Amino acid sequence: MSSDGDRTGKAGIVVAPEDVGSMDKLAYSVVDDLLYNILHDLVLKVHQDEKTARMRTAAIKVEKLAMENSDLSTPDARPEIVVETDAALYKDGHVTLKGNPLKTTKEILCPRCQLPRLLHPTDGKGAQKPDPNTTYCKRHPYIEKPGFDIYGQTWVQPGPGRGKKKKDMEKKMDPNDPAAVAAMEGSAKDRPPNVLSFPSATCSKCKRCILVTRLNNHMGSCIGNSGRNASRAAAQKISNGGSNGGSQNNDNTPPASQKGTPVPTSRATSPRKRDGDEYDEDGDEADPISAKKKKLKPTALPKKVILKTKSSTPTLKKDKIKTSSMLSVEQSVDDDDIKNSTVQVVPKKTTPAKGASPVKKLKIGLGTKPQFSAPGKKLGKKEKDHETESTGTMSSPPH
Amino acid sequence: MSANAASSKDHKVKEPQPGQPMYGCEHVGRLFNQDQATINMSIQHYKTILRALFDINPMVPQTAKGMDGQVVTSLTPTYLCLQCPSTLTEEDLSKHGNKKSHRFYVESRSGALYCQMCDDIVWDPTFEDLRLKKLGTGSFFGSRKRKHEELFAPDPVKDTPQYISTNTTLATCKANGLRGIYNAGATCYQNVVLQSFLHNPILRNFYLSDGHQSSSCDTPHCLSCAMDDMFQEFYASETTNGYTAANILSGFWISEKKAFENLVANKEQDAHEFFQFMAEELHERNGDGKRPEIGSEHTCNCIIHQTYYGKLQTSTTCQNCGGVTNQAQSFLDLSVPLENLTQKRGKKSLANGDGPARSQTSVTLQECLDEEYIKSDKCEYRCQNCNSVQQARRQTSIKKLPNVLSIQLKRFEFKQGRNDRAQKIETPVQFPLQLNMLPYTTRARTQDLKNEYELQRSCTYDLLCVVVHVGDMDTGHYISYCRVGDQWFAFNDHKVELAQKSDVLNAKAYLLFYIVRSLS
Repeated sequence: MSSDGDRTGKAGIVVAPEDVGSMDKLAYSVVDDLLYNILHDLVLKVHQDEKTARMRTAAIKVEKLAMENSDLSTPDARPEIVVETDAALYKDGHVTLKGNPLKTTKEILCPRCQLPRLLHPTDGKGAQKPDPNTTYCKRHPYIEKPGFDIYGQTWVQPGPGRGKKKKDMEKKMDPNDPAAVAAMEGSAKDRPPNVLSFPSATCSKCKRCILVTRLNNHMGSCIGNSGRNASRAAAQKISNGGSNGGSQNNDNTPPASQKGTPVPTSRATSPRKRDGDEYDEDGDEADPISAKKKKLKPTALPKKVILKTKSSTPTLKKDKIKTSSMLSVEQSVDDDDIKNSTVQVVPKKTTPAKGASPVKKLKIGLGTKPQFSAPGKKLGKKEKDHETESTGTMSSPPH
Repeated sequence: MSANAASSKDHKVKEPQPGQPMYGCEHVGRLFNQDQATINMSIQHYKTILRALFDINPMVPQTAKGMDGQVVTSLTPTYLCLQCPSTLTEEDLSKHGNKKSHRFYVESRSGALYCQMCDDIVWDPTFEDLRLKKLGTGSFFGSRKRKHEELFAPDPVKDTPQYISTNTTLATCKANGLRGIYNAGATCYQNVVLQSFLHNPILRNFYLSDGHQSSSCDTPHCLSCAMDDMFQEFYASETTNGYTAANILSGFWISEKKAFENLVANKEQDAHEFFQFMAEELHERNGDGKRPEIGSEHTCNCIIHQTYYGKLQTSTTCQNCGGVTNQAQSFLDLSVPLENLTQKRGKKSLANGDGPARSQTSVTLQECLDEEYIKSDKCEYRCQNCNSVQQARRQTSIKKLPNVLSIQLKRFEFKQGRNDRAQKIETPVQFPLQLNMLPYTTRARTQDLKNEYELQRSCTYDLLCVVVHVGDMDTGHYISYCRVGDQWFAFNDHKVELAQKSDVLNAKAYLLFYIVRSLS
């Protein structure tokens, strides 16, 4: 060993105590050498990345300069010119370095777009304010900040009408989580741009717009339910009875929150109520029985439907509010929230007068409301708003 | 070695590339500008040194002869002179340089070039190309690399810069394939598998080089088209918001094959089964159209087979007559049972008096692989020679390694007796960032390959993606970690975050994807 007899290796970090035997000293120096190697490899890797980037930057800069100085507009014909910068020389159509690019070149240009790279993240760990006067390459350093993703984005918390039921939300809301608070504060209008909401997607079969968190459920019944499998699925639905509750049971829903649903009894006693129940589920799933689907197809527009929601939903809301005085607060917030709420309401509204379903729907809404608003009395305004939303998504109408 | 054949020819300095200096530094430039003989000699020497570094016992290049004649073998890097056959320690570099006017040295751990006049490592395009080829393929004319290039055969017309620049729109620098995928309602098992596809360089190159163009495919609801669209969205669009894999999802629902037996509604499913389903679907869309028969030695040139498929060989040795029967079988992934090893460990630690610490015992991936692909087990089989049922030893080894090795750790074990319910095994399995698969190959069975450094390197795999299941048997969540370059990212549905290597290695992996080093 090179360091035989010494008490340490090349790195000099792991040092043997003075009074140990030679084998111990050897062991210490081996460990120290290995540590040196690990550091050596890491430094070499960083060195390569950094130096290669600077080399390229020097080349890009001098090439740019050469292009500016040449009259030729065709990029292929190499201009017979000589251009020199502090870091590189352009001659005979190629670039040679001058000196060490680690010393001569301070910034890093993107080899693709030739704009300077932003070297520090804009937020979170190690963040620095970028120079507002510089146009940077669009590839930014990734952000490391709890509750936010690598682009500094966060998402609207799942809530009623956004993939989660209200009951689950209460348990999960963590006031210490900065992202959660940021996402919960205010609605679409005053939400910061980095707080994103869940998008909707178009079902390839029925061409309807479905909130992404329900897409699998929808396709399961829309595609999976067609043809031969329909009867099988239906049979299963019946045999499973209420415990399955159709596809209402999103897997995100813990079993506890399903227990209170009085569906099984109502089903067992009154078949008529079951009808109502199914319509309601449809509202949730945007998956009406086939007869209704046919009616809807021509009117359903992909994506654009979202816009309609804004104008059409308030009417529904107002109806509801009239009957329930308790909820006549903060209607404006209501409307805002609606934008991110169940898109599933849309198909219903596109055929307001056609079937009997809207009427039924409304009834259900009325019936459901008192039940759910009862525990909500203690809650603030916001929770109430969610309730109104959630009426659309709740199944189980107790008459 | 084939490189010797080329030595008679003149070596060339790499053509200048736009946006890149022609030489690593002024001094390398001066070296290369002398005459053809100097170029030939420098490149030839560099190749010889690389071979000495990577193909023979590392003791040799690590042994330096000091200026005082003392021979020293060191663990830390030594420097091999490019202009003469000396090996030097870092301390002796300047002395040697001043005495002989030799200015270039090769660092022994990586093969990087050190320029004494710069007093720095230089990254010269010509030398760096040679180094990467050597590290990647083991030779300067790597067979694996070539195979890979054949896969994306260069077209003389379409590969000219003009053709490319006029026919392409350059993807924005922001698009780097790092996007989350929204959970469409208990679809996290799909998301993790899709992310593992998206960050697989072979599949990425295939789809981004129009391996399957969705615009010219007529199959309705083709899953390969959906993949093509998804790759476009990830690598060409500036969007950083999550992706909605609606096409994949509908293709999945429409598919003739049912991915899962009890695909009733929207239950959580097994990510591994989804991976198999996708592999089969994509094979059918891109391959010879034949359904891969389970257990057969199916070979196909489709992208999925090129990427994931390897071959296993099972040798059965009759204990009576000593006759050996070999049976080959292609595999998409290696399934590694954990239960036996875990139980053994449990007993051992109980015997040692460790007692309740049992749940903490962990096993390593290599131990699991040893169990499956090195050790043999007893079985009964009907021997052709003896013409009767005999006791036999059966041993499985890997005949052909795939480019991307996928390993499933069987955490979900179906236990008989216990209400016939499957159980999740929570034993932590330690897995390496770098995996040497040579011991598990059929070749390693017959030969001693300890000193076959080139072969060892070609069997070295780097960890690419880890799929983790959190929660218990019936309900839980999948997340995954994928590596992009040297940086690890954690994918949790639509959320992408930076991850540390320690996060990745401490995860309780369910699926592991390793990529062969020569391609990564």
